Amino acid sequence: MTTNGDGSRPEGPDDVKRPQPPGEAPPRLLTRRRFLGAGAAVAAGWAGGWGGWGGRWLGAAAPPIAGTIVGASAALGHRLRGGAGAFPPPGETRDVGTVIVGGGIAGLAAGWKLAKCGVRDLELLELEPETGGNARWGEAGATAYPWGAHYVPLPTAHSTAVRELFAELGVIREYREGAPVYDERYLCHAPEARLFQHGRWNSGIFPKSGMTPEEAAEVERFRRATAAWRAWRDARGRPAFALPMEYGSDDAEVTALDRISIGDWLERAGYRSARLRWYVEYCCRDDYGCTLDTTSAWAALHYFCGRGLEDPEVLTWPEGNGWLARRMAARLAGRITTGAVVFRVAPTEAGGGATVDYLDARRGATVRLRARHVIYALPRFTARHVVAGGAADDSGIGDFTYAPWAVANLHVDRAPAGAAWDNVIHGSDSLGYIVATHQALTAAPGPSVLTWYRPFTGADPAAERRGMLERRWEDWRDAALGDLRRPHRDIDARVRRLDVMLWGHAMIRPVPGFVWGAARRAAAATACGEEAGASAGGGGCGPILFAHSDLSGLSLFEEAQYRGVRAAEAVLRRDGVPFVSSLAPRG
Amino acid sequence: MAFPLLLSTFVIATCGLVYELLAGTVASYLLGDSVTQFSTVIGVYLSAMGLGSFLSRYLSARLIPRFIQLQILVALAGGCSALGLFVAFTYLGAVQFVLYAWVAGIGVLVGMEIPLLLRILKDQLQFADLVSKVLSLDYAGALAASLLFPLWLVPKLGLVRTSFLFGMGNAAVALWCYRRFRAHLGPTPYLQAQAAGALALLAAGFAGADTLADTAERKLYTDEVVFVRSTPYQRIVLTRAKNDLRLFLNGHLQFSSFDEYRYHEALVHPGLSAVANPERVLVLGGGDGLAVRELLRDGRPREIVLVDLDAGMTDLFRDHPLISALNGGALRDPRVRVVNQDAFVWLGRGADRFDFVVVDFPDPSNFSLGKLYTTTFYELLKRRLAPGGAAVIQATSPLFARRSFWCVAETLRAAGLRTTPYHAYVPSFGEWGFVLATLGAYAPPARYPAGLRFLTAATAATLFEFPADMSALPVEVIRLNNQGLVQYYDDEWRRLAP
Repeated sequence: MTTNGDGSRPEGPDDVKRPQPPGEAPPRLLTRRRFLGAGAAVAAGWAGGWGGWGGRWLGAAAPPIAGTIVGASAALGHRLRGGAGAFPPPGETRDVGTVIVGGGIAGLAAGWKLAKCGVRDLELLELEPETGGNARWGEAGATAYPWGAHYVPLPTAHSTAVRELFAELGVIREYREGAPVYDERYLCHAPEARLFQHGRWNSGIFPKSGMTPEEAAEVERFRRATAAWRAWRDARGRPAFALPMEYGSDDAEVTALDRISIGDWLERAGYRSARLRWYVEYCCRDDYGCTLDTTSAWAALHYFCGRGLEDPEVLTWPEGNGWLARRMAARLAGRITTGAVVFRVAPTEAGGGATVDYLDARRGATVRLRARHVIYALPRFTARHVVAGGAADDSGIGDFTYAPWAVANLHVDRAPAGAAWDNVIHGSDSLGYIVATHQALTAAPGPSVLTWYRPFTGADPAAERRGMLERRWEDWRDAALGDLRRPHRDIDARVRRLDVMLWGHAMIRPVPGFVWGAARRAAAATACGEEAGASAGGGGCGPILFAHSDLSGLSLFEEAQYRGVRAAEAVLRRDGVPFVSSLAPRG
Repeated sequence: MAFPLLLSTFVIATCGLVYELLAGTVASYLLGDSVTQFSTVIGVYLSAMGLGSFLSRYLSARLIPRFIQLQILVALAGGCSALGLFVAFTYLGAVQFVLYAWVAGIGVLVGMEIPLLLRILKDQLQFADLVSKVLSLDYAGALAASLLFPLWLVPKLGLVRTSFLFGMGNAAVALWCYRRFRAHLGPTPYLQAQAAGALALLAAGFAGADTLADTAERKLYTDEVVFVRSTPYQRIVLTRAKNDLRLFLNGHLQFSSFDEYRYHEALVHPGLSAVANPERVLVLGGGDGLAVRELLRDGRPREIVLVDLDAGMTDLFRDHPLISALNGGALRDPRVRVVNQDAFVWLGRGADRFDFVVVDFPDPSNFSLGKLYTTTFYELLKRRLAPGGAAVIQATSPLFARRSFWCVAETLRAAGLRTTPYHAYVPSFGEWGFVLATLGAYAPPARYPAGLRFLTAATAATLFEFPADMSALPVEVIRLNNQGLVQYYDDEWRRLAP
């Protein structure tokens, strides 16, 4: 999902009813010169039509919708709660230079950097049947589609590793006068976003419909406040908010924002506008799975200020960030084991290495890998069940909380007419849906996949997770269709298949006090050893390095990739492999 | 017995003339040239009636059941005539044969009616009285039909419903006769069921005429709709007013046969004639084959590739006898290869180059189509242009959509092409604009192919002059992620919309 800054874009022409004979799917189709002569008659004939999908299917009996809850490896993952004793002892042992545990963006990025630097002796273990983590994706006959993360904003100057990856993949075509030139095919095509409010779609996500001048003035004040934070620099010249967040300031004025919620911040600054509060909360739900009360003001302002621009453009692909994940995974072909339940990672008594024990679910065999280095690229909370021997300081591990999400993919016979990439429903618990075929270059209408996102933002994520696991597929189907019926009353007849993926621990929650709290800072500082006074040759935290976006407190591609690359570079440094850092120097 | 039969005479006479008028009207809608169509239809109809009268002598026994059966046949043949002829035109193309066969068939049946009636009534009335009553009612029915038809039936009911309604008239006469004369009929199994069945069928047709013949849709067009077909991508509608055929896609006018030569000559020849050796030519969009017709007229292209998404469209303009006559059968020419693919995708897949490219897409009225007007698309286009080659892009109206037009030119320039904008007046569209895109400099051609009706070398120079109200404006370059053109286009055309 993305937002549209203050939503100041002009209204998209798809709001306009175009002359159209009745009974015909409206304006998405090929049209040419406007019907000059008989325009009035034609327009009158169309006026009874409906601005979503055509009304043709209204009243028709909906064909049954197939579907299932997919990718639920929760049972497999939850076996870890029993500790290593829940698994049989390893039956085979292998030696590997570097083991990466976890094939999400952090793990894949670590593998990408290592492979780039010629490291061949590495292996990546992934619990799920596919790598990608939050960027997992699927493919139907018509199109690929995302299961989670689906865009990356244009990388800032600090996101050097993202830019490097993008240049490699052709997303950045060249640099002109120091500025990257993007391949237009990957920039989100127009129209980017729309909001369904008061019974109609408007362009942009900000709810503009029916705004009073007082509210407009408040929105403008908010815009100026965020602009001021974007321009803010500390004594060392660092911005208040940066991506990756490590490049931002730790000045007290900035970190103080982390102690209050964005709801309190708005309240104290006198922002009363309900639509502004809705918009800010939408952004928090979208990026963090949190509400106004459970998002720290620092994290919320990071969203509005950390990308360098008020309204940065975004890059997207049919399968979302899966497009990036599959290309990073391709670099590691032959070195990835999926269906691998890593249940114990422990430093060896002598020799400085570590062992990684995993159950190869496919073969039913338990394997021990003896590695010189382990990059632990799983969310922090898993470490207490998996990482042995006090290698991870888990005293503050309870501070790491994660928002659960449900994502439904609806296979439809045709994308809704006039759909934007991101389609948001005002007042809904969901975040709306995105259209997988939005970036297609074909002018022909055809089958598509709509990805519907529902974050569970309750204050007790564990309770939310339990509730989520109790629901049947039918409940998810009814929830998704019930939500989408508001803007699309014929949605039932359009959907052929509806699959649901449940993400129990989708996103780290930047609740007040977390990002600049002791637990996260300590975990981040010791993740790769450097800050703990490590010399160039050895690690202060042993052979196990940590890499995950939760170390940043922000579940973002840039953060995950940064953490992965940083761990990989620590491994390279320890092994004395010459390399050029992908990361900007930290001042 | 006499009075009811005489009343029947009036009804069947009215019906008979309505069928004749229907056939004449449908023929002139579908085939144009109403004088010829009406003359030939009336001629065929009247002569078939004569044949029917002659044949009536072979009906010798049980005249009343025969008369009832005749009424049922007339009811079905006449009642379904308008819909049948439209369907025949849509699916068979060769409508003339069906039309005259149908008209002749109805004529024969109608021709039998009066002689049969005379014979049934001959014992009831004096001969002089009989002839005078039957024939005067026959002519009175004709008068009623000829007044009702143009004044009320066609405007209010339309052709398809009118035809079903009068078919119901014949069927009602059949049913009524059966009940009235049941005692005199002898064994006539199923006759009543047949009459009732025919009446029900026609009533259903009348009620369902909207669905069957898109009567409602037909009302949206000023002129008579002669052809409707839905493809997976669009609804193709052809209308005719006298000899002016108009093609609409999803309700948007594509061309009028009256002046399309102006559009297509202007689209093709200023660019094509300026290319030294245009052997390989590409047409993107333009599934109507009219641009291809102009390319073939030039004579030099040896290979023409037409890429149009909609096979329904290209098939129609290749195979339908009447419709393909508009492009002179251009799509059947051995030099032409039709590819039914999405132009953007197709263009990106190949690498072979073309000497001349015609880009004749629908206007950028939505974001899907807008993608075909972006720098990304034009960069692909440039890659497929041979050295010394040229491309021409239809670019909407520089008068009605001035910013849209200049936006296309500006975007082509941003893609690294040299542009030469020009315009032409096409009455059914208004002032229309085109942009020539070349790798090198463009020089207007010194001569044009023979046989053009609009372009001459002497006057073509004026096409490149833009009066003040159409001259260039500062506009943005269109990319996939901004698509301001769709916004321009919508603003500009919405201003003009009723």
